[in-house]
Amino acid sequence: MNIEKDKILQELNRAIVRGEIETARCLAERTVKSGFLPLATIQKSCLPAIEEVGRLWEVGDYFLPELIAGAEAMKAAMSVLQVALKDSGQTLESSGKVVIGTVEGDIHDIGKNLVASMLRATGFEVIDLGADVKLEKFIEIALREKAEVIALSALLTTTMLNQKRFVGLLVNQNLRQEFKVIVGGAPVSERWAREIGADGYGESAVQAVELVREILKKK
Amino acid sequence: MLKLEDILKDRIFLLDGAMGTELINSGLPQGHCPEAWNEENPEAIARIHRSYYLAGAEAVLTNSFGGNEVKLSAYGLQEKTYELNFKTARIARTVCPENKYVGGSLGPTGKFLKPLGHLSEDEMERAFVAQVKGLTAGGVDFLLIETQYDLKEALLALRVARREASLPVLVTMTFNLTGRGYFTLMGNSPEDFVQAMEENEVEAFGANCTLNSREMVGLIEEMSRLTRRPLVAQANAGKPEIQPDGRIRYSQGIDEYVSFVPRLIGAGARIIGGCCGTSPDYIKKMAEAINDFHQQKPSGGVKHEY
Repeated sequence: MNIEKDKILQELNRAIVRGEIETARCLAERTVKSGFLPLATIQKSCLPAIEEVGRLWEVGDYFLPELIAGAEAMKAAMSVLQVALKDSGQTLESSGKVVIGTVEGDIHDIGKNLVASMLRATGFEVIDLGADVKLEKFIEIALREKAEVIALSALLTTTMLNQKRFVGLLVNQNLRQEFKVIVGGAPVSERWAREIGADGYGESAVQAVELVREILKKK
Repeated sequence: MLKLEDILKDRIFLLDGAMGTELINSGLPQGHCPEAWNEENPEAIARIHRSYYLAGAEAVLTNSFGGNEVKLSAYGLQEKTYELNFKTARIARTVCPENKYVGGSLGPTGKFLKPLGHLSEDEMERAFVAQVKGLTAGGVDFLLIETQYDLKEALLALRVARREASLPVLVTMTFNLTGRGYFTLMGNSPEDFVQAMEENEVEAFGANCTLNSREMVGLIEEMSRLTRRPLVAQANAGKPEIQPDGRIRYSQGIDEYVSFVPRLIGAGARIIGGCCGTSPDYIKKMAEAINDFHQQKPSGGVKHEY
């Protein structure tokens, strides 16, 4: 029985790592039907799988298609497991709530979408405001949703200045202590994040996940 | 008609540098569609082209990087795709000196094909049709499909270019330098790219953006081991850094950037230009570096086999 159980969990893990969306969904359903505790399935099989996807991306074995497929397979499995979780009365503690978007004046959303899906896949609650988002809107939604982190993306050297303006806006409204602010995008750097007083910068979607974990630990 | 093979027999073909930053310096408001200026502020575009020709560029690229239908739809301008591309070609054509050229720029849609994104191949292909038609009718001498990160998208744009125009087509993709070598965002290797370009008999191809001129040398070397066709290199001037006074400086610096031009040529680049962070000043210095290179090789000297 246990050997059988381990085998299914391993298969689910492998399906996510390989980005096999339908297989991941079916295997997640099988774990539920077989009476596995959904929380244990998530912790033993799914989360390690998405970590592995991130690791393979970091070392350069995986590229964007594999990363997205892995995150999608994770999402498919999690959608099944989360329903089961609710039914069983268990809860998976959210890793944190993140409001994310591309800043105003900027329509580029590839990087932002990637960060959003990796954060979701790793257990964060993500509110994606899309692209060309007014700075005030980030604050409004973050306050309403009681988010802990605000993530700002910018691809242009002109619009990255809005990341700086945003930090200033928070300070002016006496809200700087309420949120952690992280920044990303092709022209953005660690140094820029420091200079504008943001809480961090992630070079890739995988590093963004690490970053959010780190800064929430410190909070 | 531009005869690339004739030109490249005896010289390096110099393209222009960045357009976006020049537009911003000319006052393009943040969040404004750059291609809309082809209609609203043609004089600004003309001025930028003139400054690049004056600096020594043999060809300038039209202000149409984001001029495909998908990208323009983000500004609600998709209906104007043909018109904006036609106009930008006309602007460049009007200021183009005799014996110089105009290239039509085609950048990526910024969206992904299924299953990663929502666009079907047909939809992606359609995004380039009115753009190619507009640029061609406006009188460009060649097309440059540039900054591509997905080989599939590049090939769809190429298919449209071949079908709708009878002009030379150049293709550049943008590569990252990873721990395992050069790859596009989608994981296309230089081998994948070169093979596809050879199969489609693309007149010249290569890389632009992302890499600085030092990093670009290694990539061009790698490509030239794989093909005998002329290679294109348009490197970035490093990473942008915002100075305390708000001005933007690119990390590589002009002298270091230009110092790699001879090595780019040595590696096999035959069509050279600038990308993000470059300006007419860069192109002027690159023209001088190319000139020096030619003078060292009085016989024409550039090894080139089609």
